[in-house]
Amino acid sequence: MRNRKTNATAMMLAFALATAMPAIASAETVLRIGMTAADIPRTLGQPDQGFEGNRFTGLTMYDALTMWDLSSADKASAMIPGLATEWKVDDADKTKWVFKLRSGVTFHDGSPFNADAVVWNVEKVLKQDAPQFDPSQVGVTASRMPTLVSARKIDDMTVELTTKEPDSFLPINLTNLFMASPAKWQQFYDKAEGADAKAKSQAAWAAFAKDASGTGPWKMSSFTPRERLELVKNDKYWDKARVPKTDKMVLLPMPEANARTAALLSGQVNWVEAPAPDALPEIKQRGFVLYSNEEPHVWPWQFSRVEGSPWNDIRVRKAANLCIDREGLRDGLLAGLMVPATGTFEPGHPWRGSPTFQIKYDKPAAQKLMQEAGFGPSKKLMVKIQTSASGSGQMLPLPMNEYLQQALAECYFDVQLDVIEWNTLFTNWRRGAKDPTANGSNAINVTYAAMDPFFALVRFLQSGMAPPVSNNWGFNNNPKFDELVKKARQTFEPAARDAALAELHAASVDDAAFLYVAHDVAPRAMSPKIKGFVQPKSWFVDFSPVTVAP
Amino acid sequence: MFAYTARRIVYVIPIVLSVALVCFLLVHITPGDPLVAVLPADASQELAAQLRTAYGFDRPLPVQFGLWLWRALHGDLGSSIATGRPVLSEVMRAVGNTVMLAVAAAMIGFTLGLLFGLIAGYFRDTWVDKVATSVAIAGVSLPHYWLGMVLVIIFSVQLNWLPAVGAGPGGSGAWAWDWEHLRYLVLPAITTSVIPMGIVTRTVRALTGDILSQDFVEALRAKGLRETEVFRHVVKNAAPTALAVMGLQLGYMLGGSILIETVFSWPGSGLLLNSAIFQRDLPLLQGTILVLALFFVLLNLLVDIAQAAIDPRIKRS
Amino acid sequence: MSIMTDAALQAAPTTKARGYWSTVARRITRDKVSMACAFILVLIFASALLAPWLHLADPYQGSMIRRLRHIGAPGYPLGTDELGRDMLARLIYGGRLSLIVGILPVILAFVIGTSLGLVAGYVGGKLNTAIMRTVDVFYAFPSVLLAIAISGALGAGIVNSIVSLTIVFVPQITRVAESVTTGVRNMDFVEAARASGAGPFTIMRVHMLGNVLGPIFVYATGLISVSMILAAGLSFLGLGTKPPEPEWGLMLNTLRTAIYVNPWVAALPGAMIFAVSICFNLLSDGMRSAMDIRN
Repeated sequence: MRNRKTNATAMMLAFALATAMPAIASAETVLRIGMTAADIPRTLGQPDQGFEGNRFTGLTMYDALTMWDLSSADKASAMIPGLATEWKVDDADKTKWVFKLRSGVTFHDGSPFNADAVVWNVEKVLKQDAPQFDPSQVGVTASRMPTLVSARKIDDMTVELTTKEPDSFLPINLTNLFMASPAKWQQFYDKAEGADAKAKSQAAWAAFAKDASGTGPWKMSSFTPRERLELVKNDKYWDKARVPKTDKMVLLPMPEANARTAALLSGQVNWVEAPAPDALPEIKQRGFVLYSNEEPHVWPWQFSRVEGSPWNDIRVRKAANLCIDREGLRDGLLAGLMVPATGTFEPGHPWRGSPTFQIKYDKPAAQKLMQEAGFGPSKKLMVKIQTSASGSGQMLPLPMNEYLQQALAECYFDVQLDVIEWNTLFTNWRRGAKDPTANGSNAINVTYAAMDPFFALVRFLQSGMAPPVSNNWGFNNNPKFDELVKKARQTFEPAARDAALAELHAASVDDAAFLYVAHDVAPRAMSPKIKGFVQPKSWFVDFSPVTVAP
Repeated sequence: MFAYTARRIVYVIPIVLSVALVCFLLVHITPGDPLVAVLPADASQELAAQLRTAYGFDRPLPVQFGLWLWRALHGDLGSSIATGRPVLSEVMRAVGNTVMLAVAAAMIGFTLGLLFGLIAGYFRDTWVDKVATSVAIAGVSLPHYWLGMVLVIIFSVQLNWLPAVGAGPGGSGAWAWDWEHLRYLVLPAITTSVIPMGIVTRTVRALTGDILSQDFVEALRAKGLRETEVFRHVVKNAAPTALAVMGLQLGYMLGGSILIETVFSWPGSGLLLNSAIFQRDLPLLQGTILVLALFFVLLNLLVDIAQAAIDPRIKRS
Repeated sequence: MSIMTDAALQAAPTTKARGYWSTVARRITRDKVSMACAFILVLIFASALLAPWLHLADPYQGSMIRRLRHIGAPGYPLGTDELGRDMLARLIYGGRLSLIVGILPVILAFVIGTSLGLVAGYVGGKLNTAIMRTVDVFYAFPSVLLAIAISGALGAGIVNSIVSLTIVFVPQITRVAESVTTGVRNMDFVEAARASGAGPFTIMRVHMLGNVLGPIFVYATGLISVSMILAAGLSFLGLGTKPPEPEWGLMLNTLRTAIYVNPWVAALPGAMIFAVSICFNLLSDGMRSAMDIRN
């Protein structure tokens, strides 16, 4: 009680200090955002720090040929035209695509966006002898468009892209290739000093990162590495409806949940990503507004299907899925900040399909399945799960796994946790269940983003994606999956492609290919002065319609 | 004096080279892929191999060390893998912020330490001495990161007087010397000052006590010297050792700021080191350790020389 | 603690009268502060050692419904942590790892550093140069930086943090041991032993070890407090113990998320580190002044 009183006086004092400050500044409206990243994501076009990077330094300053529709909080976010207005696969050769570009678009430095710029940007990551080739951007880019091999200019406003094999996912993948200004880069390159072309190119990219130029709705205005990035609105943005309604956006890296929360409460920022869950009551009580929405993200156990794995019995896989009280997990541990997962995609998503296996909490059914599989109270099934104590997207890995451990014990599972460091876990994920690094575990707990079909489904389900090729950690080898992947990849009419993907997803749920547990909800807390914000079902958000009341 | 200085400088060269070797080896015994910062787990193997070659991580270790040392001697510590920015400029900017914090903490810690130490030494075994020594021993025994947390709980969470984290409302890039910015420095500086305060108090107390118990002080007093004169003698005799201890403490504050900077998100060398460790950014990691260690070596050298300049006996030994 | 004192007592220098050590012991038992500290330390050590028999709650068993109870909540005298685990049990069990990780490096460094220092000081010459110059290299790093750099390189883990702290302390103890040995080597009684035909090994074992160990021992007890703080600091950064093990530094780290909800529970593990550290410091001070004959 005494605390409340001191808090009140202190708040008045803080309020006085906080209000004294903006009075001096001009009437400029500023969004100050505390990000969860430990560093400002890279600003040179291809951000690092995963999709948080794309959210803050990708989609703000840059555009891609295709983009996400971020305007609705209810519908699943769909792909829409961006810098390309239309595209089509070649009827005769399904590895060739023709993209028509949007006319009248200019980069922040005033140079025009055209076919040459597209070719230049494809080659910055794919053509090793191009002067602008930058190895540091390759990793985050090439892996998100695994089939793209080259680009060719047809005319000023038309380009042709070529893939290794027919791939209907290409337009979706291209949301990750951001268009940086070749003219601006060339200026830096010409000025750069360096022993050879490679050194000059590196210097030019370093300079470009400090003074970047894209076509996006926000322009870079000042940059203090590791501390602060300031963006100002781009009045000349090509989509007039998306010209920002706020003058300025300041991005501050704040990796500690407490630091972010403190910064919000003290008025240092007016928007924080992922506030500390335990501080939510305090945040609400002080009048701040919380936003959250289901994200294309899955928190799963990925099963090993190698010989001898207990998960090879579909009854065991189904039993585990039925034994978890996901609502209890949401309300008890996560302060409401998760959506129970009943698959990779939830009902309403175009790729959901209609699985016959209903994932829900049904302990008796789970126990029955386990008994049929030969287990019971006196004969428990030992399973070992490799997980980490922290990590991007992992939510609260240890508490959540301990919750599963307790829940599954009721269904005759004896769950053992193998807790390792996040980076190591991430590396092991690639090495697969047969590698010694799996340390005898038969499931791995690495969360994944489910934005596009390759990342959400193909890399886990197709037999050819088994290590070392990609993330089919458990060596899933199901001819039905392989056939459905092939079908989806080679169906180029968008609606039919979505139907094929839905069929693949339904098959994976019916097979209980994962232990589906939760979707993250990307919680963020904001000052009540911030209006007009819509949180879509996406990793990304649109900052353009946001206003800040004085 | 000149000969001594020259000798000390020559002696530092092998130390510097060995320090560079230790930095390099430390970082390269690290398990895990050095390219984890730019290479997603879903990247293909050929992509990984291609990048390893592009970054030069496929060469033998002695060759990598030679190249790194050669460039380092020319003032080039390479580029951070995660950000692509030159390591040297990253480290120097961070070191600037750490110096600011360390100097502020030194001003608090050394002033209080000297004050407490002198008083305690002068009034040995009185209640003043007991209070001062208790404060000092608490200072050296406090886990400073915990003290930082407790200060945040009291002054930021409960009272809401001072900001909990960061270096100013606009980051260190927009630093200004006014209260709006300085209040960000208060809690980290107090937290950092506690250990040096304790150590300086204890050193100065012991020195003062020792000097006061020596025969010549009695002789001076017997000669009828005023107490202020006696005090002057004490200060003169205690200065070289006290100076050395303070120099060393300043070095520790510069090089050992990682825990406090993590608590307060202070954008200095410690926070940089922290992110380099957790991002597994090898060039940044070895560069930061090297620069911090070199600062420490340099500071030790300066302290030695300064000490010798004040106290001529040292040169001869 | 008692084991270490015994070792020191057995190693009492033969040249000093047996009465010296009994004087030291008498003096230290009369020092109220030292005795209070010794009592607190014995209490903490004993409770950590006997934790399984103290009828405590399970330090690993969490519960989502009883998270972050306040100090004094019924059934949870010191509240619960962010996973609903009993804080009292975790603090007491936490003493086990925290004390091991804090003290073991000093013991290891004491053994290694004393051996190196003795050899360097007694043999002298090239060997001395080789050992002491290597030590100088490690002295060129501030100790916190060195500990964190080594732990950062080796990766998180209990063994790794013990190794890294040992590496930090060995040079310091070696330097003290070397300078004491060099000092003692030139003393009369060593000359006398040498003249009477004792081999270098016997001289080192019987005469030098005894006279050298006292000062090094006092120095090493002073290091324990530093080591406790550093070891917990490594865990605090995420470079030491891994969850869900109870360890004070790590508990401090994970409880940081709770400072808005339950600040004083979050501060408890730090108070434990502080208590142990200040007690070792005071005890080391008490010992030093008890061993100082001039007083």
